[in-house]
Amino acid sequence: MRKLLVILSLFIFIPAMVANAGPREDILAEFAAQAKADDANFAGFDANRGKELYLATFNTGKPETPSCTSCHSTSATNAGETRAGKAIDPIAVSKTPDRFTDPKKVAKWFRRNCKSVIGRECTALEKGDFTTYMISQ
Amino acid sequence: MQNKAKFQDKNTGDKKIRIWDLPTRIYHWLQLVLVVSALGTGFFAPEWWLSIHVWLGYGIVALLVFRLAWGFFGPEYSRFSSFIFSPKILIAHVKAIKAGKPMHFFGHNPLGALMVFALIAVLALISLSGFINYGGVENLGAFAGFVDYATGSSAGKIHLFLAFSLIAMILFHIFGVMFESKISKSSLTKSMIDGDKSVPEGENTPSLAPKLLVPAVISIAGLGIVLIGGSIFMSKVPASGFINMPISQTYNSECGDCHIVYHPSLLPKKSWVILMDELEDHFGEDAYLDDETAKEILAYLTSFSAENWDSEAANNLLIVDKEKPTQISATPYWKLRHAKIDEDIFKAKPINSEANCEACHGDAKTGRFDDVNIKILKAKDKTN
Repeated sequence: MRKLLVILSLFIFIPAMVANAGPREDILAEFAAQAKADDANFAGFDANRGKELYLATFNTGKPETPSCTSCHSTSATNAGETRAGKAIDPIAVSKTPDRFTDPKKVAKWFRRNCKSVIGRECTALEKGDFTTYMISQ
Repeated sequence: MQNKAKFQDKNTGDKKIRIWDLPTRIYHWLQLVLVVSALGTGFFAPEWWLSIHVWLGYGIVALLVFRLAWGFFGPEYSRFSSFIFSPKILIAHVKAIKAGKPMHFFGHNPLGALMVFALIAVLALISLSGFINYGGVENLGAFAGFVDYATGSSAGKIHLFLAFSLIAMILFHIFGVMFESKISKSSLTKSMIDGDKSVPEGENTPSLAPKLLVPAVISIAGLGIVLIGGSIFMSKVPASGFINMPISQTYNSECGDCHIVYHPSLLPKKSWVILMDELEDHFGEDAYLDDETAKEILAYLTSFSAENWDSEAANNLLIVDKEKPTQISATPYWKLRHAKIDEDIFKAKPINSEANCEACHGDAKTGRFDDVNIKILKAKDKTN
């Protein structure tokens, strides 16, 4: 019986450990490290703050793109569309599993889109919250 | 054969003679249909009807081949030799008309004969200039590999001028037929339908040369093989307006994530330089790229910019807007060619904007933008 439990627990924990070490987690960990460096009181990312950021309207960026939802759909699980008419896969990880797995892509799009929408680069806290929200969706 | 041409009308007892044989009459009316259709599609049809216009051109060339062969081997009045008149007779003919005592001709009269030769010549030249234009500007057809854009463009102007000339000639032709019908008191139109003309009192029925079917068929087949074979052979040569361009995965993915992958030939070098320099303010968005990627893309774009191609798009898009040198849809040529398209169509889904070339130009990716590949989407949102 104990043997069985050990084997069962292996089945449960090993995949979980592997998942934990995935590229998405690495990216989040890096955001977290930066967030901690920015603010010593950093206490983890929050999907709700990420959601607020996603839906917020700004008037500090480029007038063509006042919100993330200008191009991504108002729902993270729906497909969006660029201003030039190209389809954008849903940003939610549940719909597009390879979201937030390529650090280069993540860096590129956060830089571009934060500048377009907010008019500045995003903080590590914002990026982490946003990513956490998308992982939860 | 000869005697069959002469007979008596059953109803009136008039002596009649077969002037226009069936092939000549079919040729005449078919040519009317094709020429009117070609003029109609040329002047009024939208760009994407061009292939129909070109096929009408092939049809007209085929008719001309027949007419040429029939001009040598057809029956008496279809032969060119039967209506080549000396200037003396021409002058006498005009004088007789003026005097109100017109001379009688069974076939073409001297003025009509001039018009026949002129029409055949103009139709031949209009076809040739059309195909040169098609090859040079559209980079399609037999001349695509041989004619550059500038030559094709000039041929297009000649083609247009000849088309106007043709319309004037057709009007003259119709006037001439009506006039001759009136003074000769017999309908020329009717005889082009039933083929017959009355033999006037006191006029001898002429002896008629019969058609020479075998030489006619051989020369039609020979000319046909030369023209069709030559066209197919010439079409194998790659279009002169286009060069081989490698595919850049970097360009395709970095730029193609947000918008269609614009062919590098659609802007001049200087525009691409400006565009790549201003990526952080890219048509209302930040499209920043790291230096290495940006450099690679700039090199690709400038190597294959408009200056490097002789296509219709590249030639015309060399001139950009002064204020917006990086915007293809701001160029004078783009505006000219899209002037007739309702703005709502651009805004409607799934087009979204003027930037989405591919929505209507199925071949936008290749930089060809062939007229025949235009398909203007219906604005679905318009009624909503």
